[in-house]
Amino acid sequence: MKLSRNSSLLLFIPALLFMSIPLYGLVTAVSQSLSDSGTWTFDYYRQLFQSERFMASLWFSLRTSLAATLLSIILGMAFTRFFHTLLEKMAPRLTVWIPMLFPHFVWGYMVILLLSETGVLSQLALLTGGIADTDEFPILTRDPYGIGIILTYVWKEVPLVILMLLPVYTSIRPEYYALVDTLGGTAWNRFFTVEVPHLLPVLIETILIVFSFTLSAYEVPAMLGTTFPEMISVLSYDWFYGSSWEDRPLAFASMVCVSFLLLVVSLLMYLYLNKARWRAMRGSRS
Amino acid sequence: MSSITLEIKQITKQFHSDLVLNGLSFQLQKGEIMSVVGPSGSGKTTLLRVLAGLEKPTNGTIYMNGRDVTKQKANRRDISLVFQQPLLFPHMSVEENVAYGAKVSKKYTQEKVDTLLEAIGMTKYRSHFPSEISGGQQQRTALARAMATEPEVILFDEPFSSLDPSLRQGLRYWVRNFLVEQETTAIFVTHDMEEAMIMGDQIAVFQEGKFQQIGAAKVLHESPANMKVASFMGGHLILNDQEYVPLQAIELSSSPFKEDTQTFEGTVEHITYQHGRPIAHIEIKESGAKVPLPLTNDEQLQNEVFLSIPVSSIQRFRGTIDE
Amino acid sequence: MKNNKPVFTAVGIVFFIAPLLLLLLQSLSAPWRFQSGYGVDWKLESFRQLIRDPYLWEATWWSILIGFLVLVLNAVVGILTGKALSSYSFKGKPWVEALLLSPILIPVLAIAMGLHLFMIRLGLADTMMGVVIIHLVPTIPYSIKIFHNSYQQMGKALMEQPHILGAGFFTQLFTVELPLLRPALRSVTFLTIVISLSQYAITAIIGGGQVLTLPMVFFPFLENANASLMSAFSLWFAFVPVVMYILVEVILLLLPYSRVPWRNHR
Repeated sequence: MKLSRNSSLLLFIPALLFMSIPLYGLVTAVSQSLSDSGTWTFDYYRQLFQSERFMASLWFSLRTSLAATLLSIILGMAFTRFFHTLLEKMAPRLTVWIPMLFPHFVWGYMVILLLSETGVLSQLALLTGGIADTDEFPILTRDPYGIGIILTYVWKEVPLVILMLLPVYTSIRPEYYALVDTLGGTAWNRFFTVEVPHLLPVLIETILIVFSFTLSAYEVPAMLGTTFPEMISVLSYDWFYGSSWEDRPLAFASMVCVSFLLLVVSLLMYLYLNKARWRAMRGSRS
Repeated sequence: MSSITLEIKQITKQFHSDLVLNGLSFQLQKGEIMSVVGPSGSGKTTLLRVLAGLEKPTNGTIYMNGRDVTKQKANRRDISLVFQQPLLFPHMSVEENVAYGAKVSKKYTQEKVDTLLEAIGMTKYRSHFPSEISGGQQQRTALARAMATEPEVILFDEPFSSLDPSLRQGLRYWVRNFLVEQETTAIFVTHDMEEAMIMGDQIAVFQEGKFQQIGAAKVLHESPANMKVASFMGGHLILNDQEYVPLQAIELSSSPFKEDTQTFEGTVEHITYQHGRPIAHIEIKESGAKVPLPLTNDEQLQNEVFLSIPVSSIQRFRGTIDE
Repeated sequence: MKNNKPVFTAVGIVFFIAPLLLLLLQSLSAPWRFQSGYGVDWKLESFRQLIRDPYLWEATWWSILIGFLVLVLNAVVGILTGKALSSYSFKGKPWVEALLLSPILIPVLAIAMGLHLFMIRLGLADTMMGVVIIHLVPTIPYSIKIFHNSYQQMGKALMEQPHILGAGFFTQLFTVELPLLRPALRSVTFLTIVISLSQYAITAIIGGGQVLTLPMVFFPFLENANASLMSAFSLWFAFVPVVMYILVEVILLLLPYSRVPWRNHR
């Protein structure tokens, strides 16, 4: 429906009201991290970057969430690519959505149940003689490498990646593949000339969503992480709710750092996407 | 005395720097059907959208029954629009689709819905969903839905272009008769001159944001206003932007000289058959123009021919747009 | 197309069905100690224990209520914004879309911490409304996306049709748009309720431990409950979206042009 300019803008009012919530939250977080009882200071940021705990946590978080993101994307994409025709049916689709029905921390608990040193797999290995004692079972949860965290995230995010990519894959017209084939293209050409251009916008958006979430969510690392190194969200939450109120500005400062990082990454990705889209548009006109 | 149902005065519509509609004016009597014909992308759809109230004109006024409705929104105007696609609501049955039109315009009676379903021959399919009926049936239902609002004017935007040709032919006459029976004022937009001639009492040739000529088919054919109209009608050889000659005045011969004629050299490219007659498609060497010439008998044509035109049959474009 | 169905079945069973079965089996039996030589000890004790927990029911009601309010607000904002985005084209629209997605790209923890003081000042801290508001942040961007997609699929032309026929804004919304948005409403229901149920940290910050939702009970349980009880509790989390789904499905039946067996075809 074509609305007149004014009434169309009215429809944006709820969104504007909503957007003011995160905006206000973020602005307050920034101002809290920059003020020491009323005066402007960068002191908290200096403390932050001199703190070994923070730096280790930042590095660990980036490493863990990057691994989780890339694995989720690669597995989810491969899965969608190979099975999208099967996924058009209801039952297979519902099967794939099962992990989405549960909160992340519930899935985390399932991972603990399955993979902890006294977990189901360990017991089965013991029973079948694969290991002689539960001590021999590799430490996969609450481990210093974040394996449990990565595993939980990948398991939970792969269905999300499939959810995002499935409509794109089903919308690619088979004629395009036929075209590449008749022109003598290889499977490689099929992927890069047909799929990638279609997928790129959604793919980048999905990468951003998964990366931001895995970098900054609290629940899963709180359950499956160790105390050192710890994910930045856990560290910030501890600082926010810790024994002393003096650490609160540090919580704000560290969260602002993460937000800033994510905003810059998002901006760069969107700029790239916009450029690509612009190029595509210009190409189609000539 | 018939009354004027729709009148537009000096309508212009500008998109950025493009002048899509350039000072259009016309009047429609009650019950009159006007075809608007023009090439694709000439702004015909924009004209309908402005009339329907979906777009605001940049300038100009629209009167319905003498009342200024330029500022009225689409849902308050007594104008219906039938689109290229039937656009039936997929979640409603045929009957509900028709009844919807009547209900939202607060003119609902069950008898009217029944009558309309009967008129479009869909009584049997009243409880079917749009996905269960054919394209032609969908388009007829869309028409009934538009009629159910009891519009003063109904607008058609190439309503048959998504149908296959055999269906299209039948539906044209059906819609035309339907509109005449209901005494509905209508504007019918198409890019097909034949369709325009079948559907409209008057034909408006629309190009470059303007009506090049408005008139009955006969008028358009016998005295086209300018070369745009003539080339759209396709019944003339256009000599230059001032002069033209009707195709039937042209004679083919193998020798160049005759009294009081203008002669062109031409090459026969094809012979095709239409409506039972052979047609020679000739390219004129001098200008490169291509002319289809009906042949009177199965004369043996050489590849190289001469087209002789009696000077007396050369006419000048009238250059005016009125009837 | 090569036959990849067996591979799919295998992957599906191992990675998607097995976890569910694991939780189900564990919840119905005592904690497993295979090496001790005993087999699986079947009992319903864990569920009995779970539903006898008064906190569980309180938390479930709060979670459903909060989830429902979050859903309603999501639907309102999502539908109106989705409609606006698809009916109105302007320069820089991709950037507006990116901006509307940004709340899920910024850490919601940062936003909750920032809003905490503000909520205290407004008296919304430690209240259900405060929790509902903070739960909007990670949900609404998804809803806007889903509704925007749906409107785009319907197409502008189908939206113009009721307008031309004479329908006003609300008539059009209820007779044409909402019935056609039904699949989108279902997706949004699932997504918002699951996301709302997933929030421990921000619920703890804004709710201050006063607003008892299911995660607020689940986290402390981790320390001292056994595997059977925890598995039963885990399954309970899937129960809430199902309840909400049924609720929404019933509400959707009230929309015009809904087809249900007991409704006359007229």
